[in-house]
Amino acid sequence: MIYLPIAEMPVNVLLVLLVSGAVGFVSGLVGVGGGFIMTPALIFLGIPGPVAVATGASQIAATSFSGIMTQTRRKSVDWRMGALLSVGGILGSIAGVGLFQRLLNIGQLDLIISLLYLIFLASIGALMLIESLKVMRGHQQQASGMLHRPVKAVAHRLPFRLKFPRSGLYISVLPPLALGFCIGVLAAIMGVGGGFILIPAMIYLLRMPTTVVIGTSLFQVLIVACITIMLQATATQRIDLVLAAVLMLGGVIGAQFGARLGAGLKGEHLRALLGLILIVASLKFLWDLVIPPNEYFVLGAGML
Amino acid sequence: MRTALASLLLLVSVSAARAQDATPAPAGPVEIPAPRAAADSASELPAAVAEERITVSSDYRGSYITVFGVNPDRRGRGDIVVVVRGPGQTATLMRKTRVFGLWINGAPVRFSSAPSFFAVLSNRPLRQIASPESIWRYGLDPAAAAQLETATPRGADPSDYKAALVRLRREQDLYQVYASRADPNERGGLTMYQGGLFRAVVLLPANAPIARYQADTYLFREGRLISSQTIPIDVSRVGIERRIHDLATQASFVYGLLTVLLALFAGWIASILFRRA
Repeated sequence: MIYLPIAEMPVNVLLVLLVSGAVGFVSGLVGVGGGFIMTPALIFLGIPGPVAVATGASQIAATSFSGIMTQTRRKSVDWRMGALLSVGGILGSIAGVGLFQRLLNIGQLDLIISLLYLIFLASIGALMLIESLKVMRGHQQQASGMLHRPVKAVAHRLPFRLKFPRSGLYISVLPPLALGFCIGVLAAIMGVGGGFILIPAMIYLLRMPTTVVIGTSLFQVLIVACITIMLQATATQRIDLVLAAVLMLGGVIGAQFGARLGAGLKGEHLRALLGLILIVASLKFLWDLVIPPNEYFVLGAGML
Repeated sequence: MRTALASLLLLVSVSAARAQDATPAPAGPVEIPAPRAAADSASELPAAVAEERITVSSDYRGSYITVFGVNPDRRGRGDIVVVVRGPGQTATLMRKTRVFGLWINGAPVRFSSAPSFFAVLSNRPLRQIASPESIWRYGLDPAAAAQLETATPRGADPSDYKAALVRLRREQDLYQVYASRADPNERGGLTMYQGGLFRAVVLLPANAPIARYQADTYLFREGRLISSQTIPIDVSRVGIERRIHDLATQASFVYGLLTVLLALFAGWIASILFRRA
């Protein structure tokens, strides 16, 4: 047990290490920052919501940085694409913080967060699962052909085209910028890095090769997480450095094991796994919204 | 000789307090109960706390607050009530409603001030000790100490929201009510000893805010306040906990930068260590 100076409560260090290690493992395996599991997990452990959201960003930064180091050695980061996504992401997260405050004031932040998670997790999860199952059965051509054409046509017709050698693409800069912006807004509202939305979007919308997608999304997630840390530290002052240190330790160790296991897996298996995780997580949110609550009253974050 | 003089003095002061309390209350609406001791009682109830300063370091697991004192009445008449309060803070409460099959939060109801911590200890239920007006006036129960800021949604009862706030906070041990004789097997509660000596023990849970608390002791007789006293209790961080907190609040930009650097460093170290392994 150790007392957290900002959260103003003691936590079991081993328990937090275990949770952050597990989250780090999943994040290293499939390349997501892990925030969408970590933030709810911390709240479940009793950490106040604002502290969990603010501190979670530091764990995302540490995990994604250690992931990038590994991915760089494998030359699977498209820096140019990553920079474009990051620029969009930074603008988006600034816009998102404003929206976050508005929703908080009218008391509907919980609902919006739950619905966003529900919609995104379920639809992306289902899409990935179906696609990868098709690939595993050998219907690769059919599957990719359906999703391929219309988007690529749009990306080719738009102005400001740029070569992305790592990804083997020659497309307009506008779709990545817009994608980064949307992810930034969502990330700020949902208190996550956004990798779990970004990765499928890069695969299915930008048609980037799966091998580059993980490293590149980690890069974008890292940049957005660092910006989030600075915004949270100066605006809400709810980052708990002691909690952050414990989370980082567990997170980076888990991520390394995850990345190692991920390197030995096939792309379609990886996607099927992520798809499954997302669907399970979305069911949890649906459950919470539909089942009559035990306690009808909810204490809001009164410190804001 | 000396004891006789002391008891005489006490008797005089007690009767003076009674006389003062008997003066009619000002007309009009009941005064909003600010968490305070009764300033209108002439004499102070002799009381003290064992822990005037509670320090919070990295091994902090919560603490006990012990208040002890003496009922100045020679024949031991009257009832002692002890209240330990944390500072008032704003709070928001929402009631879930069903919309299109989904349970969503209704309009938020704000409390301009609700005690962040509240423990009330008495020998028997408070309603048998003090009149409802006194409970309200001196803020002797957490619902009386909480003040609603916004109007409740149409058709909703404000007292439902207050009751919900108390219920939720009681689940977190932030609000505590001891209304009977202390259980000898448990540490919390109010114990009366011979000679009018009393001791109140409150468990301050680790999740209670770090702030300045106050312990108020009251002596009631026949529903009326006879005397009271307020003792401050300081809960503060020390050592590394204090330094981290000071940095986070006073140099937040540096704190953020430090967090980013720590995160990058942790990630970098991990990737190096694991490459070799």
